[in-house]
Amino acid sequence: MEALILELKKEIIEVLNLEELTPEDINEDAPLFVEGLGLDSIDALELIVLMEKNYGIKLNNAAEGRDIFKSVRIMAEYIAKNRTK
Amino acid sequence: MNINIASYCRLTNHKLEVNDIDIQIQKTEASSLNDIYRHLNLSYPKFFKMDNLSKAGFLASELLLKNIIIDKETPKKDMAIVLMNRSASLDNDRTYQTTIQDENNFFPSPSVFVYTLSNIVNGEIAIRNKIMGESSFYISENFSPEKIYSAVMNTFSDPNINQVICGWVDYEFNECDVLLLLIRKENQEKIPFNVNNIYHLYT
Repeated sequence: MEALILELKKEIIEVLNLEELTPEDINEDAPLFVEGLGLDSIDALELIVLMEKNYGIKLNNAAEGRDIFKSVRIMAEYIAKNRTK
Repeated sequence: MNINIASYCRLTNHKLEVNDIDIQIQKTEASSLNDIYRHLNLSYPKFFKMDNLSKAGFLASELLLKNIIIDKETPKKDMAIVLMNRSASLDNDRTYQTTIQDENNFFPSPSVFVYTLSNIVNGEIAIRNKIMGESSFYISENFSPEKIYSAVMNTFSDPNINQVICGWVDYEFNECDVLLLLIRKENQEKIPFNVNNIYHLYT
């Protein structure tokens, strides 16, 4: 799980252009939205694309993201259970 | 009442000039626009999410307004933005196209898509400085001081507008070509806003 969390942090930094952050700067238990990284709605859509492109997970309802994107750790746990690639 | 050029910024791949002062930037190979951002010691993480056109316009506006807008948080209802370029948002449009080109690797990028309009650069500048006046973006085949002058004077026909950020903001094929001017209605005589002076500052 720790390896997946690190991989996910690197992917989030890349796809969301968080150029001034390193994986160490991201607390895997901190909220991704509003507080924490302060991501916005466009970032949420980009995370949905990331899930499908890199892990083969297609979210049918964007609202599902609310629960899945609560933190990097919760996101990693969801990926570990549902990934198809 | 005179209409003056209160400030200007010229930004290209080879030149960064603000009000007659050349600014030297240590450039890396990755991106000179990112280098300028770091040189200015800005703290605005959204910058890195912008497309190149918006980055270029945003940086030029930061330099243009550096000693003029001290309070970015106060709404500015008397300020308008009038921009123009040749290639619209084609630079970013091509980037977006790469995300939808291959039907076997079809992942349209939402964060790239939101910049597939040239006037988004107006929005970035307006949001940063809380500029609430009219905002417009025109496409012109070539840099045209006459068209810029005409568009700005039309904007000043609104009596509520006292200052206009205007100019040419173009970015395509890694070529940055920006001239931003701050035009103000003022009592004193400074650099007059006219076609010849726009052309002179561009060349």
